[in-house]
Amino acid sequence: MLNNNVRLAWQFYQQEKRYAHQRFLSLTQIVLMVFIVTLSQTSDAIQRYLTHNLNNLLGADLVISQKGALKDTQQTVLIGMTEQLVLTRSLNTTLVHNDVWQRVKLKGVGKGYPLQGELLTSTALAGEFEVTSSGPDAGEIWLDSRLLASLSLQLGEQITIADQKLTFTRILQHEPDRLMEGHNVDMRAMINSLDLERLNFPQDIIHHRYLFAADANQISKVIDWQKDNLPAAQTNHKQGAHPLALFWQRTENFIGLASIILFFMAAIAIQQLTHVQMKKEQFFSAVCLSLGSSKSTGLQISVIKWALGILFLFPVVLLISALCHWFIIQWLGSTFTGLAWSWNIPLAAKTLLATASIFFVFHFPVWLGLKKSSVAQLIHNTNRKVSSVLSLGCALLVLAGIAAAYSDNGLLTAMVLGSMGISIVLILLISWVALSAGEALTKNVSGLVPFTLFMMKQRLLTKTTQILGVGLCAFLLLFTLMLLRDLGGSMANYQRQHDGNLLVSQASKEQMDDIESWTKSHDIEVRQSKPFMYAKLTQVNGTHLSDYSEKPSDSLATFGRPIRLHWTDTLPGNNRVVDGQFWQPNDENWQQVSMEQEVMTDLGLQLGDKLTFFIADHNVEFVIAASHAYKPGAGSITFWVQIPPFALKHIDAPQYSMASLELGSEQFSLLNQLWQKHPSLRMVSLKEITQRFDTTLAMVTQVISGFSLLIIVLASIVIVSSIHALEGNEKKKNSVIMSFGFSKKTCLQLNLIEWLVTGSIAASGAIFGTWIAGLLIYQSQFSMSYQPDFIWLLGTLTIILSAVTLLGFIASKKSLSSSIRELMAE
Amino acid sequence: MSVSPVSQIELNNVSQSFTSNEHQVHLFQDLSLTIEQGQSYAITGPSGSGKSSLLMLMSGLEQPTTGQGSYVNNERRIALHQLREEIGFIFQQFHLLPELDALNNVALPLKLRGHKDAERKAKYWLEKVGLGHRLTHKPQQLSGGEHQRVAIARALVFSPRFIFADEPTGNLDTESAKEVADILFSCCRENGAGLIMVTHSENLAARAQHVFTFRNGTCERVGQTQQEVQCA
Repeated sequence: MLNNNVRLAWQFYQQEKRYAHQRFLSLTQIVLMVFIVTLSQTSDAIQRYLTHNLNNLLGADLVISQKGALKDTQQTVLIGMTEQLVLTRSLNTTLVHNDVWQRVKLKGVGKGYPLQGELLTSTALAGEFEVTSSGPDAGEIWLDSRLLASLSLQLGEQITIADQKLTFTRILQHEPDRLMEGHNVDMRAMINSLDLERLNFPQDIIHHRYLFAADANQISKVIDWQKDNLPAAQTNHKQGAHPLALFWQRTENFIGLASIILFFMAAIAIQQLTHVQMKKEQFFSAVCLSLGSSKSTGLQISVIKWALGILFLFPVVLLISALCHWFIIQWLGSTFTGLAWSWNIPLAAKTLLATASIFFVFHFPVWLGLKKSSVAQLIHNTNRKVSSVLSLGCALLVLAGIAAAYSDNGLLTAMVLGSMGISIVLILLISWVALSAGEALTKNVSGLVPFTLFMMKQRLLTKTTQILGVGLCAFLLLFTLMLLRDLGGSMANYQRQHDGNLLVSQASKEQMDDIESWTKSHDIEVRQSKPFMYAKLTQVNGTHLSDYSEKPSDSLATFGRPIRLHWTDTLPGNNRVVDGQFWQPNDENWQQVSMEQEVMTDLGLQLGDKLTFFIADHNVEFVIAASHAYKPGAGSITFWVQIPPFALKHIDAPQYSMASLELGSEQFSLLNQLWQKHPSLRMVSLKEITQRFDTTLAMVTQVISGFSLLIIVLASIVIVSSIHALEGNEKKKNSVIMSFGFSKKTCLQLNLIEWLVTGSIAASGAIFGTWIAGLLIYQSQFSMSYQPDFIWLLGTLTIILSAVTLLGFIASKKSLSSSIRELMAE
Repeated sequence: MSVSPVSQIELNNVSQSFTSNEHQVHLFQDLSLTIEQGQSYAITGPSGSGKSSLLMLMSGLEQPTTGQGSYVNNERRIALHQLREEIGFIFQQFHLLPELDALNNVALPLKLRGHKDAERKAKYWLEKVGLGHRLTHKPQQLSGGEHQRVAIARALVFSPRFIFADEPTGNLDTESAKEVADILFSCCRENGAGLIMVTHSENLAARAQHVFTFRNGTCERVGQTQQEVQCA
């Protein structure tokens, strides 16, 4: 019996795969499967790259890193616990040569370096790499090729750092302990450890990395020891996760979350196509019943036919995904040096199976419809409809599943889904109000426009679905385009307007005093100056941070390193209190903090939670008393964690400042004076910020453009599917109209008016949706104030809608090929 | 409501044929006839004999293979396809728009033409076909006979000079068929419209003033004159 059903299913599959609705269905499924498979494969490739990166660029079996140096006793314990220990020290500084300056990461290495892996150098830019058994000798400096070009140095020339002369002897090509390679674009220089000491940099700006040779057992012992004795230190080891693994997991999750939008659109397209499918399947099932078969026969054939359809899509999906994956890997090559194309077969199988399950749920209403089929419908020439609530329920089930799978940040998920939900409700509401009002107002008027409005109102449910599809597509395109445009424009303008064009990201008190006298002497304006100290979050409510949350988030990744702790007695002008109570000036309760609202959501923190920070070798406990959020208009220097100034009486830690200055273009050359005096001063110009931002923006632009392309493809499918689903009705309507003595031209005009009305309603919904999404997402995700440019919005929308109307109009042309003869033939 | 009874449709030596599986199939040849406004005509014959093709040709929706058709109005002769605005259709499957109620289905041609009192006229016609109590009912709430009565009202509401009906009672029981036929003939008569029907029903055909019958590849005119009008 089953064999017969399989054979029949195969026969019907072969016949039906050529039908238009089957083609649209297949296309929708292919687009989604390609998207998900490519995303999972790319993410997997990145994660594997990071693991490989960790294993090969750690330069040791275990690395402990922290700002300050280990105490001698601690070092002795660690040496006893492991096989070998090598120290490297690094800091950010500025090298100046012939009035050209360049920020650089300077590393001091000594005896025993490199511990593991190969240190490669060369004596000419295009020269052969040589394996070098140790770092530079005292008095020498090695620079990487980019730095060499930037400073226009020649081998053998001398460079001065803090009055010490160092000779440039080799070009640094590869350090085996560069874990962050590919993610850290700093230019690099290497000197001998003895020179580093002679340069006499402040200890608190030097980052110490202790490289260990150790076996697995020793590694786990050291980690346990570190948790108790060096809670603020970071550890990386070959059995652990790459520090960027969580960040990229977050990226995958964000894109995955955004795919809800694609799935929602697919749900609309599939729901439209289901009408046609349901009719055919019910008819077939009814015929089977009339021939003495059971209901399960029709159902079995339908399920097998569906499975065959999905199965035969797999090779196509795999091929296209492999190609897309290859292109993305090439594109990411500039970010991840050495990232190679690879294919994870079990992951691909798992992803395809998961996506097939999603389509199974989408298709479920059709099978439920088959349960309702009966011979009676052949006699009455009707078909039994399945409740649209069921279709909606199936779609929501799928969307909830995807949201749950990809959500790692409650607030972001809520905002993405919230803005989508609001847009959907808005579009539904506007459709209903506009069509009802249009129909009511033109009730006593005749003509093509009133007639179109009247017909659309009569077909409210189907028209609303169509409008919803078009509206959502327009909303998504509009929002992504707007985001692209505004991210670039607003950021640059905003930085300039509020922050000056030079940001001092870290200055000690002495450095800040010199900066202030320097600015006064050159008539340079200091726009903002805010104090801070470094603190490492180690525990939340007594639980160690590494055990507190395993959900990937930007916040958690940032708390892996020491963060800036700001003290202030009043709420900063660019902050607003979201929850709780911010302290009053001179409040003596010093163990309270105000946390940034999104950080709290990210980590799942509540008011009243206890946070333990490791500050200057001491654990300090605070209670969250308030949460704050960024408020634009008073500078962009803001801090995640703020404490009352009274705390300074109890905490003895190095204090720094962040500041922003406004320099005239001719004043930038004066910076050399500051840098020569304070090579460790961390300053970055707007130009550099813009350059970094441009690189990021270029990447974001490409990702969003690719995503927009997918939206456009799916939008086209939604439009064509909705037209296809209504084609029978439309044809009949056109034929009937022609039977009243009207020409095809009238039908064409009606069609055009209908698409314009559809487009206009969808456009209104899209504009409102974009506006709300802007308000919700801009502020919290990009710290940008949202100032909608309605002229730009309308302009872009006009282009999108012209395209939508044109596509709808062209796709509807088939329904105009109807004739009165067809009505007679029925 | 009635229109000037001077219009007529003329077919002169028209032939209709088509190609099927590389064979030329002739439906009729050298057919000449005249249809006058205000008169009723029935076209009968077995399935596939060319009845519907003749209807399409008379209504100007299709062109004959040879010969020509023309529409004569007040001694002005124009091509048949220009007759489009003067004709209405009634179908065997009724073809009411399912989303509209009876009133709006009937008002449809008037609304499209921009008539301001479309609904009032539609109501008048629905009352005339005996459906004054079913104005707000949608097609799925109406019986087959009521469907066709709405379709008749819809075809006549814009006062066409000719009504072309394709098996207007083909889907109805005897009782409903009789009622619909009564209404159809009386409304066309009152409205001064010419009625051209394709039908298999001898009873319905017998009520027409003129009958054309397709038989063995020829079309004979029976009824008033009973003369053969065309020889194949």
